[in-house]
Amino acid sequence: MPVFEYGDVKINVDEDGFMENPEEWNEKVALALASTEDVYELTDEHWHVINYLRDYYQKYGIAPMIRKLCKETGFSLKKIYELFPSGPAKGACKVAGLAKPTGCV
Amino acid sequence: MRTNIIKITDISKPGQLTEIDLQELAPLPPPYDDYRNLPGFKKLPKATMENLSDSPDGVLATGLSRPASKEEEERLINLFISGLKKLFTKENNWTFLQPLILSMEHCAKCQTCNEECPIYEESGHNEVYRPTYRAEILRRLYFKYVKPTNPLMRKFMQGDIEVNWELISKLFELSYRCTLCRRCAMSCPIGVDNGLITHELRKIFSSEMGLAPKELHEKGTVQQLIVGSSTGMNPEVVKDNMEFIDEDISERVGFKVETKWDVEGAEVLLIHNAGEILAWPDNPAAFAILLDAAGITWTMSSELVGYDGVNYGLFYDDVQLARIAMKHLEIAKKLKVKKIVMGECGHESKALGVIADRIFEGAVPRETAMTLIEDIVFNRGIKFDPSKNDFPVTLHDPCNITRAMGVIEPQRRVLRYIAPKFREMTPHGVNNYCCGGGSGFAIMSGHNFLDWRMHISGRRKFRQILEAFKDEPPGKEVPKYVCAPCSNCKGQIRDLIDFYGAKEKSGLYYGGLVELVVNAMVDIKDKFIDFDMM
Repeated sequence: MPVFEYGDVKINVDEDGFMENPEEWNEKVALALASTEDVYELTDEHWHVINYLRDYYQKYGIAPMIRKLCKETGFSLKKIYELFPSGPAKGACKVAGLAKPTGCV
Repeated sequence: MRTNIIKITDISKPGQLTEIDLQELAPLPPPYDDYRNLPGFKKLPKATMENLSDSPDGVLATGLSRPASKEEEERLINLFISGLKKLFTKENNWTFLQPLILSMEHCAKCQTCNEECPIYEESGHNEVYRPTYRAEILRRLYFKYVKPTNPLMRKFMQGDIEVNWELISKLFELSYRCTLCRRCAMSCPIGVDNGLITHELRKIFSSEMGLAPKELHEKGTVQQLIVGSSTGMNPEVVKDNMEFIDEDISERVGFKVETKWDVEGAEVLLIHNAGEILAWPDNPAAFAILLDAAGITWTMSSELVGYDGVNYGLFYDDVQLARIAMKHLEIAKKLKVKKIVMGECGHESKALGVIADRIFEGAVPRETAMTLIEDIVFNRGIKFDPSKNDFPVTLHDPCNITRAMGVIEPQRRVLRYIAPKFREMTPHGVNNYCCGGGSGFAIMSGHNFLDWRMHISGRRKFRQILEAFKDEPPGKEVPKYVCAPCSNCKGQIRDLIDFYGAKEKSGLYYGGLVELVVNAMVDIKDKFIDFDMM
């Protein structure tokens, strides 16, 4: 299993870089994972997206629909791509410590 | 052109058989013709290659851990051989025994099928992807273990083969280098089916050895049977999401759109591939609009498995296939619906519409979305203004709906009417090429498998799409719509467009069929298809 290291953060990730044990997530891990997006500072806007994703994930066990994410955060898809260059699933969800989406999505 | 010769028996030798070299692949049309300007091919770290499967080609679709001891290796070998023997018994192979035996015994080795395989051709004729390569391995195993012939004669007639870890791990990987598109089978003068052979190999690994890609098994069929959907949506989440879609779409079209749940006695039980709900919500929304406009009573099911038509068992395991298909049937019977309609999903259509006949007794009638949409467009009095679809459109044929089921004309009849700038790909219909994401590949991207399905298995489709639009201005100023009525194919086409940067470079967009139909409805005042949102 690949291990991802950044500063003093050391976590198990899958082949796509998603956390293997999402319960190990914390704010330091988020910052470490953000570095894979070439994002080295998390602004309030980043946290707005991350917090929404985490709340939803804790409640429902999966990632929200992308359209729902946009509507609930008030950010356009374009804006989400600006914040997380790999986009909502491969970028934002990864940084928020969600497991990789499954099924035909 | 490749010069290195790879022999059948090389499969049992340690190490890789071949390496992917982007320079050897068939070049794409401009502006994608220089491989140096395209994304590269990720080479796997040495440590990964040492710990995991013996890869045939430096690619890993899944990757098995190497056996820790000699005993473990023995155990795997014994399981493989017992699985091989079971595959050729009626009790264990109640689905495909007859065509499998015919394919084993009657291949004339004419190699006609080779040039029909887009993976073999686009790879620059890489020997390990030749449709008869893995088939020939199984054939030798068959004549050694299942229907043994005199060893001396066999060496001369069929050739020998040694079963060891190297063979097992490389063959497991190779069974995930074919999309089961079955173009090869159609070209065979005798009817030998190399796609089926690949499928049957996957069954040995899954049913007897417990080896299958986690995307298809653990996160696929297993999750679907426990949670309700391969996407991880439980009934509460799916209802919540559909409610969101209903509200969102009602706002956009200016009238109330409402999903129906668990309506007893409805004409139609609509089962979408649940991926549509999460990734392409306009598709289920368009179905709701169209069915209501046609005056058809319809419903979705909120029962576990009933709201996800996915059945990945079709790709690798008959028992998982049967478990899911039986749930679908049971739910339809409980709701007393007149028929099941499979949403725009190729493998769902084939699994539930055709293969499930092997297990269903007293089944509920089933229909693909293609024929239902055709009926609605031409017979239900809905007014269309085709000029609303004023952009170029081409059609991708999902293999499972066209080649496997013979549903060819309904979707084209619809497109010729509602999309004035519709043009065919070459070839199309039963001769179509796979999107390159078939048999579950579209949801597999571990290790460097994404690079493989973008550079190799999807290459022919990408080329075909570009050629279909070659008479249009090449750049992004003219949006070009690839209609792909299948969730799996859409996932693959989305990945191709992203990978090659084809939205920016060529103005490529993609979507389903039903969205185009709703976009042409006179009653939809605003645009239903909005390229700015895609």
